[in-house]
Amino acid sequence: MDRDQETKGSRDRVSDLSLGTREPLRCSTGAAEANPAVVARGLTRVYRRGAETIRALKGIDLDIQCGEFVGVVGHSGAGKTTFLNLAGLMDRPTEGRLTVLGHDVGKRGAGFDALRRKNIGFVFQEFYLMPTLTAVENVLLPTMWGRGNGEGRMSNVELKGSKHRAEELLNLVGLGQRMTHKPSELSGGEMQRVAVARALVNSPRLLLADEPTGNLDTLTRDGIFNLLLALNRDSGLTVIVATHDLSLESRFTRVIRLEDGEVKNG
Amino acid sequence: MIWFILGFKNLIRRPTRTVLTVLGVAIAIAVLYSLFEFQQGYQSRLKGELGALGAHVMVVPKGCPYEAATIALHGGKWPRYMDESLLDKVKANPGVAEAAGVIMDAVFPPGGQSVIMLGIDEDYMKLRPAWKLRGSWFTSDSSIILGPSVAEDSKLEPGDLWTLPEKNETLRVSAVLGRTNTQDDGFVFMPRRTLQRISGLEGKLVLILIKAMKVDQTDALVASLKADEVDMNVFPLSELLGTISALMASTRVFVSAIILIAIILGGVGVLNTVLMAVFERTREIGMMKAMGGSRSDMFKLVWAETMLTTLLGGLVGVGLAVVSSRLVEAIIRGMIPYAPKGSLIGFSLPTMLFCIGLSLLLGLLAGFYPAFRAASIKPIEAIKTE
Repeated sequence: MDRDQETKGSRDRVSDLSLGTREPLRCSTGAAEANPAVVARGLTRVYRRGAETIRALKGIDLDIQCGEFVGVVGHSGAGKTTFLNLAGLMDRPTEGRLTVLGHDVGKRGAGFDALRRKNIGFVFQEFYLMPTLTAVENVLLPTMWGRGNGEGRMSNVELKGSKHRAEELLNLVGLGQRMTHKPSELSGGEMQRVAVARALVNSPRLLLADEPTGNLDTLTRDGIFNLLLALNRDSGLTVIVATHDLSLESRFTRVIRLEDGEVKNG
Repeated sequence: MIWFILGFKNLIRRPTRTVLTVLGVAIAIAVLYSLFEFQQGYQSRLKGELGALGAHVMVVPKGCPYEAATIALHGGKWPRYMDESLLDKVKANPGVAEAAGVIMDAVFPPGGQSVIMLGIDEDYMKLRPAWKLRGSWFTSDSSIILGPSVAEDSKLEPGDLWTLPEKNETLRVSAVLGRTNTQDDGFVFMPRRTLQRISGLEGKLVLILIKAMKVDQTDALVASLKADEVDMNVFPLSELLGTISALMASTRVFVSAIILIAIILGGVGVLNTVLMAVFERTREIGMMKAMGGSRSDMFKLVWAETMLTTLLGGLVGVGLAVVSSRLVEAIIRGMIPYAPKGSLIGFSLPTMLFCIGLSLLLGLLAGFYPAFRAASIKPIEAIKTE
């Protein structure tokens, strides 16, 4: 099976993700217009590097609705990753207001680790797979976190369910035959597919991808991109992709262009 | 459990580094185990050897009493003697239940095995109620009783003739002693008068062993014997045990200090290795936190990894100590003036559990700071900066 066929096969099966015991991947069951996934008002992020002050985001306003497939584009240093870090609850705004899935990020508290774990999936340019774990173990890893923080030990039934889901996701991304392979035995495209499956294992309501195709050749890039597109189209998953690859712009349902920390359209 | 599985998988990522770190802990734990076991084995064996003398008080000629006691325990040649007439004086003391005079000599044939001879009489048997003889007591002045080890080495049986090396003296084996697992197994026993004649020590004794009438009045007996005669050393065997134990205890403090330093260095080695691994895996840990891993998750992950390292070190160390116990024992025996016979370093579950527990404690302490650092990594560090 070549990559195009694999991608097509994956796309055909994406709608299966809503099946099973887990909730669908949609960020809201209500109307998209009434349920914004991300709302930013005057969002500012300032970094200090020694004596230098870097204004990565300069008071941006934007709305991303549930179910959108949004491309955040711009050159290196435009503020794409800063925005994704904020939207992914990994960073806090210096000024302004940011609401993610109805939660005010400015009032960030202890519950945000769990919120991120349960609702937000990440795909990075570098795959960050654990080299000692197999593909299926890597996918399973995020289901293990947080068990000491009030979520209790995973029961055998839960573990079995998680494993089944991890296998289901690997099948979905076209890696059904590579489940027990370690990252060193996988190609770059395959590793990124494992990373996508890992990002989906906790049934997130929002998928953030930071340059997910940056390390891949054109053919593999298209395969991964089609997979993200299919996840959005068939399962209604809200997907925000940061990329500087201008050739992908036309394939997003909406493009937010960042330049020097400001939104130039959106 | 997941933390230990992930920790183990992380450890095997860099096998050389892991092996070296584990080895550092293992060596410290092995030395600790050997020392503990040696101390306990030494005390226990020493008590056993002194108990096997069947006496409460020992009388030896003037000189170092502990050197004399060593000779008395292991046999040998000691150029100090006391007059045999002292034996009658000792026996006359009302606090003495039994007293046996012993003369001792040894020959060391070139290239051959040394022969340690004890000249005894029937009184000695009274201090050895557990002795079992295959054959009969001395049938004449030229008969001997062989310790079982000597009989095995020389392949002699009761009735056979035995020639004393370098003395041109032939004696007949009247009995072979049943195995006692004490120093007696390696001795050749003969009538006291015979050994005094062969050694040219007529009327001399090396040792008088005394069984007190009442054990709780041993100190009074010793005081009484000392008052009677000034030309001999009188001391209770409990004092000998205490003195040798005190000597060992003083060396234990010194050796323990060295081991403690070795364990601390092992711990610092572990801390350094795990901390280095945390720094190397900053992005990986940040990614795991980005995936929802909490501070507590990262802390437990690194802590489990550290404890696995030191636990492995503890297990390997204990195994190493047990496997190399003979070698270590031989080295220690060569460095101390007196050590009881028999195995001193053995298999002891409490000592093993203590050492393994200590290695876990070391992991808990050494892993705290790296685990704290891992927990403090911000997920944003995993994301490339623009």
